[in-house]
Amino acid sequence: MNNGKLKIGIYELTGCAGDALLILDCEKELLDIFKAVDIQSFLMASSDNRDGKLDIALVEGSVSTEREIEELKDIRERAEIVIAIGLCATVGGIQARFTDPNEWKKKYKEVYGDIEMTHTKPVQSKPIDAYIKVDYYLPGCPIGKEQFLDLFTRAVKGTLPERYPRPVCVTCKYNENDCLLNKGIPCLGPLTADGCGSICPNHNVPCFGCWGPVEGANLTSEYYLLKEKGFDIESIKKRMANYSGTKLIDFLKQFKKESK
Amino acid sequence: MKKISVDHLARVEGNGGISATIDGKVVSDVKFSIYEGPRLIEKLTIGLTPEEDVSMSPRICAICSLSHKNAVLRSMENALNIKIHPKSYLCRELMHMGEMVESHSLHTYYLSLPDYLGYPNAIAMASDFELEVKIALEMKHFANHIMKVLSGRYIHGENPIIGGFGTFPSRDELIFIKNRAIQFMPFVKKTVDLFCTLDYPDVPEKETIYACCEPGNSNYGFWGDEILLSTGEKFFRDDYQKLTNEFVVSHSYCKRSRYKGKPYSVGALARVNNLGERFKGETGKMYKKYFNKRWHVNPLFHNAAQALEISYCFERIPELVDEILKYEEDPKAVKYTAKSGKGTGLVEAPRGLLIHHHEITDGRVSLVDIITPTAQNAEDIERYCQIAAQKLLDSGKEDKIKERMELVVRAFDPCISCSAHMAEVTHTPSGSWKNKLEEIRKNSSPVYIGAGQQDRSDDACGIDIAQKLRGLGFKDVWLGSEIIRDDKLEGYTEKNTLVFFDAVDFNEKAGKITVLPLEYILTHSSISHKFVPFAASIKNLSLQKNAYVVGIQPDSVARGNKISPSVQKAVREILNHLRN
Repeated sequence: MNNGKLKIGIYELTGCAGDALLILDCEKELLDIFKAVDIQSFLMASSDNRDGKLDIALVEGSVSTEREIEELKDIRERAEIVIAIGLCATVGGIQARFTDPNEWKKKYKEVYGDIEMTHTKPVQSKPIDAYIKVDYYLPGCPIGKEQFLDLFTRAVKGTLPERYPRPVCVTCKYNENDCLLNKGIPCLGPLTADGCGSICPNHNVPCFGCWGPVEGANLTSEYYLLKEKGFDIESIKKRMANYSGTKLIDFLKQFKKESK
Repeated sequence: MKKISVDHLARVEGNGGISATIDGKVVSDVKFSIYEGPRLIEKLTIGLTPEEDVSMSPRICAICSLSHKNAVLRSMENALNIKIHPKSYLCRELMHMGEMVESHSLHTYYLSLPDYLGYPNAIAMASDFELEVKIALEMKHFANHIMKVLSGRYIHGENPIIGGFGTFPSRDELIFIKNRAIQFMPFVKKTVDLFCTLDYPDVPEKETIYACCEPGNSNYGFWGDEILLSTGEKFFRDDYQKLTNEFVVSHSYCKRSRYKGKPYSVGALARVNNLGERFKGETGKMYKKYFNKRWHVNPLFHNAAQALEISYCFERIPELVDEILKYEEDPKAVKYTAKSGKGTGLVEAPRGLLIHHHEITDGRVSLVDIITPTAQNAEDIERYCQIAAQKLLDSGKEDKIKERMELVVRAFDPCISCSAHMAEVTHTPSGSWKNKLEEIRKNSSPVYIGAGQQDRSDDACGIDIAQKLRGLGFKDVWLGSEIIRDDKLEGYTEKNTLVFFDAVDFNEKAGKITVLPLEYILTHSSISHKFVPFAASIKNLSLQKNAYVVGIQPDSVARGNKISPSVQKAVREILNHLRN
């Protein structure tokens, strides 16, 4: 049935399912969302799913098995626009923390031993753009409701919002929080992409970096700022690794370049 | 051989499937599969600070993120010897109520109810049950609000920290939560009435062991320092491995748990079975009204148990708010000086017992062990699906198997994202008897028993195999007649596995080999008669659980002394395999 509505599919690869859950969490808007578009596939919410052509595919989770690589390629073929939602799809998630393939293999063996898989082989966790072209990235662990609704309403009208090239500190200032760095608490706000509403500093808790590294930040200035405040740059880098996934490598390269 | 499978289970958290393999008249193999990739969660935080671990571990699962938060905090605080302020303790309990109501209301109304009312999803259901769907959404929204106020945000909030909280909710926020909870009570009662009176099918029904936290002081509750079993046994938190006994099976990357060799269940139904007598107030009245013997044996009553727990939470929330308001001052997070230690945290996540164990060395995380409810339920999920599928097959309702298995899996409310121990499950290909035998031989010392009758042509194949194994110098080989007559099995322990060889009629092609647990055979009326005498002669119960039948499809069992060529070939295959 073609009713002129956009055909949308929501897919979950490996992760905590938090982004799909957050979409279900838009209680007040949920019925409108389902009415405004034609949801073709959303496993978490429905048992009536179809695998046809799509206008937009929202993909959550990192790619962690060969089966998921196939699934993802199939989604790409069927969808006009593919949007990565959440930390796992955009940077690979916390499970992509071991960026060195040998280290990953070692840890994998520690957990699962020598068992040989016959059904589908595991692969080192990577963001979805390691395998397919991605048209838009919505970061967050989990994604923020405001950013999601912003994206959704624009996408329904046929455009995509500009991305958010600013760190957590911007919103934190709007929220009039005392800067935790001034109190000697290692907060990752200056290096982390905004979108959470500076939720942790609002609660007097330092930023853990769960939106992943911010794009286009002035890292030179951040580097000297953190150094000046007396923070150990190595431990800051280590902390950034927790939520940067495979993008950490680019981030560290840039950080290194800037800090010279 | 035929396979019935649901490849993508809908309306469960995460990506999984269930399949059953049918060998003629027997459901031979049921697999609950997890398609989530490996995340190595327990290795990710090694070498990090306890604070970083507390931030990252709950990322295992979005829907139970606060249960993970509470479990990791309890574990860390035990390891670092921290006693939190009573206000922090109460606020954490309130936060947990939020998650419990959120998860239960989502599961009962949105994920399960469409099954019973015959809709593909809740949105489709909304056209006929608009009021229910809307109020349930309001209830879920309110629960999210509690989680958000206490933890900072709905999913993966960072406000609960080691030693307490970053900030505490204001008096106004707390009063709002209390009043709103009271307003919901009429709908909560309706919810209990609705889910306790649904027409739950009586297949599958079977006893199991229920495990949950012992909240202490004869209270109902969602955490404690001991594990309580329906058998009456109790374990202190650090002895959790006595319950879980995690093991690896060769067909799966998902570590499994069994207690004394038996599958057990955790979750709302386990809690209500073990602790339901402790419900007070309205919930206590409704428990007395609805609880009956079927709740002991039927996993579909999970939904009813969840509804009772929603009611418990709504009665507990106002009490909690009153208690929290007694403390006007907001306590600062307790500082700690310990650099090393070990600790365990037990919490009841919405879907059951959740265990976090941490070791800290020189201020860094050195060991993590996380056991999730779904990992513990996996064995019972498969067992109940097998029972259901077999019952339906026996009564000629094969077409209902797929749907019923899905209903059973969904009732357990599995949370597949909990893949700390879970990943891809590989299906053994049909004709996989070799792998199964290999697994048995690898994990235990097998005792081989040849069953059957010498003078009934192919039925002599089991005896033939046993005699040839003896000829090859194998020890621990017996004939069926010997074990029935002479108690030859005395002296064997749970370290042994009994392997029977026999001709078994599966309606297959002659010579086909199938390995089945003896338990499966005994539940199937048409072939069980051959094994009942053996089962009766196995006095050690754990041995009985640990017994398999290697069945060969016979061509003929008429009177005669000759084994048919196809069965002879199967005998040779088995002997060749065992010899290598």
